[in-house]
Amino acid sequence: MHEYAFFLGCIAPNRYPGCEASAIKTSEKVGIKLLPLCGASCCPAPGAFGSIDLNIWYAMAARNVVLAEQMDRDIALICNGCYKSIYEVNHILKHNDELRDGVNEVLKEIDMEYKGSIDVWHLAELYYDPKICGVDKIRESVTRPLTDTKIAVHYGCHLMKPRKERHFGDSDHPMWIEELVEALGAEPVQYRNKMQCCGAGGGVRGFDLEHSLDITNEKMINLQEVGADALTEVCPFCQLQYDRGQVEIEEKFGIKYGLPVLHYNELLGLAQGMSPDELALDLHAVDCTPFLEKIL
Amino acid sequence: MATQKDYGNPSLENKLRDRYYYSDDTNRDFTQEVEKIGRTIAHMCYQCGTCTGSCPSAPRSSYRIRLFMRRAVLGLEDEALTDPDLWLCTTCYSCTDRCPRGIAPTDVIMAMRNLAARRDIVPRNFLKTVQAIYTTGHGVPNNDVNRAARVKLGMDAEPPTTCKYPEYIEGIKAIIDHYGLKDRADRILSEGE
Repeated sequence: MHEYAFFLGCIAPNRYPGCEASAIKTSEKVGIKLLPLCGASCCPAPGAFGSIDLNIWYAMAARNVVLAEQMDRDIALICNGCYKSIYEVNHILKHNDELRDGVNEVLKEIDMEYKGSIDVWHLAELYYDPKICGVDKIRESVTRPLTDTKIAVHYGCHLMKPRKERHFGDSDHPMWIEELVEALGAEPVQYRNKMQCCGAGGGVRGFDLEHSLDITNEKMINLQEVGADALTEVCPFCQLQYDRGQVEIEEKFGIKYGLPVLHYNELLGLAQGMSPDELALDLHAVDCTPFLEKIL
Repeated sequence: MATQKDYGNPSLENKLRDRYYYSDDTNRDFTQEVEKIGRTIAHMCYQCGTCTGSCPSAPRSSYRIRLFMRRAVLGLEDEALTDPDLWLCTTCYSCTDRCPRGIAPTDVIMAMRNLAARRDIVPRNFLKTVQAIYTTGHGVPNNDVNRAARVKLGMDAEPPTTCKYPEYIEGIKAIIDHYGLKDRADRILSEGE
């Protein structure tokens, strides 16, 4: 068993608890144990906090990293926004003495010290990494293949970009999450402008909702074009934007799509035999029934 | 043969003929400050426009990341920091991945937002997130519908974060107070009401 401190973030535990439940249950079946990271907070939101003062963003994210350092475990997380904060701040502070000293000066006030002793991973990359899990192990864990379903993938921005501060290589045409989707027995479909932003980030969802929904709407048009049965992502904030966003798009623009949006963990949970009730799919704003009827 | 076109309005003519920026309009330190906060080499920008071409916000607004890059290079501080378009970047980093000069225009925007915030120019939703994190540790706090759903899933109503262990919130407050951000957020929000 590979053990990780499970950093939850905000939207997964507080809006889509199915993401959290499925992460814990599905990972255990492929040899990954997620331990609770007690006392963790918001990552904090890179758009909202980083825009006001990057130094506070560094310090707040470092506090979360230190909690994992105290457990002596690497962090695993399931949200791209959290990945941006926790992974990137950890990375920056490891390589920038000036910023690290500044952060430690603040952390000293609360008897903490950032040491730089752990690494940060997205659970999806751990699933893909053959040294930890790998696509084959995912495939073997499937008991209810998602046969005859077309699933589109939204990677999300902060997982893959900026490329030079990540380790995934190509950020224009990545295919590794498609491999993970294929392992579930589903058919991953390609669509126009796959790597475009969901529209929610950078505080724009709160600052100008219509502008942000217009970006989402463009993605929805491209998704509709290829007849996807569902959209999967690895970021609860993107999920919120696509899921609740579809309701808001209907209200504001009068267009209805009805495309179910599921986190990859939820999809994996379904493929491993979890029931929709165990995933709290009823909390999704867009009805997942049409998709579930295809696989159940 | 007539070679001159004009509007017949001398002061407008003068204004249109004047395409220069003057040293009064610029702050040389601005470029350096942006580069320091954003940790990127903004002054290397040669205005190719790949950034604007990659930008999901550009086709649906007047936000032009290339314009902000120019402002950064020329030190046009006031123009940059007071333009509301500054807040339309979704920080998707497409421009950063495609910039042929290896600049991170996204981080230029983040730096400019930091500098705008020092002048109390921040949209309200950003400050409300600060307040929420200060009080609960979460930008998106738990609620009763969610608590019920969690219990149904066999989980604790409160996730093992600051929700379940509120004693950790003190540390978060200390960090935010170190920078005086909560007081500033409260003040700016109340002034706007």
